Amino acid sequence: MDARHTFDFLTNPERFMAFSRWAAPWLGALSALAGIAGLIMTFLVPEDYQQGDTVRMMFIHIPAASLAIFIYVCLGAASFLALVFRQALADLAAQACAPIGAAYTALALITGSLWGKPMWGAWWVWDARLTSVLVLLLFYLGYMALRGALEDEQKAARAAAILALVGLINLPIVKFSVEWWNTLHQGSSTFMAKDGDGLPAIYAWPAVLMGLAYLGGFGALWLVRIRGLVWRRKARSLAMKLAEGAR
Amino acid sequence: MSFDFDAGKYAVYLWPAFAISAAAFAWMIADSLLTTRRWKREAERLQAELNEVGQEGVGP
Repeated sequence: MDARHTFDFLTNPERFMAFSRWAAPWLGALSALAGIAGLIMTFLVPEDYQQGDTVRMMFIHIPAASLAIFIYVCLGAASFLALVFRQALADLAAQACAPIGAAYTALALITGSLWGKPMWGAWWVWDARLTSVLVLLLFYLGYMALRGALEDEQKAARAAAILALVGLINLPIVKFSVEWWNTLHQGSSTFMAKDGDGLPAIYAWPAVLMGLAYLGGFGALWLVRIRGLVWRRKARSLAMKLAEGAR
Repeated sequence: MSFDFDAGKYAVYLWPAFAISAAAFAWMIADSLLTTRRWKREAERLQAELNEVGQEGVGP
């Protein structure tokens, strides 16, 4: 296959619609299966000797927080493609993933707060990790607000894409804040954990399954939302054509 | 191994976290599907209207 056409299904709207028509329900179903298995394992594993039952919060907090960062990478990449290569579908992809990213980030903050209160004795502290994740949420909200604020859609898309690219600076701060500064939030306990800080093996399965569920959920929702935006663009083009024909 | 749903003194933190996560996913799924369906119907309605007046439609 010609390398130029390898990703046609992601850049050509017609092929994307054909691809996403079956990919979205499959991803959704796989995500649901992983989620059900992950939830079963969440309540099967024993409580932690230090954190007690709050350790189960990990299986919904860590996937939400990891995906909040990953979705922003997708937003940044799509914005770059839209801004530099004028890919119309990339612009729709960026627009579609912002609300999902905002929801995942809000979930990471809320579940983190509900975990923090019994463990740290505080709902919120202005440490580097929590603050940088709050800034991440503000970038998502700012992106959506900017797109909605300007009447000229092209100008709005360009301005929002620039904001999304600026926001990429925040991602390494979120990721490495627990290493660069002394934070109340613990360091990584998963794949990048230091010796002795790693997740006990018994917690690895529910963590992986819930991670896959959140990732698949994002994939399915992203495809569905892009489809919605493609239909909206088509509806607007048709409405304009009808209006021109009526003149 | 058996299910452990008794979170004891931590139940007040644990269950709201799961409930809020479930509600957020329910909202995201419903909003994504309903919005997409609404635009699809609108595009199909306009396409049918265009076909009636004998004009060609537009691609996706």
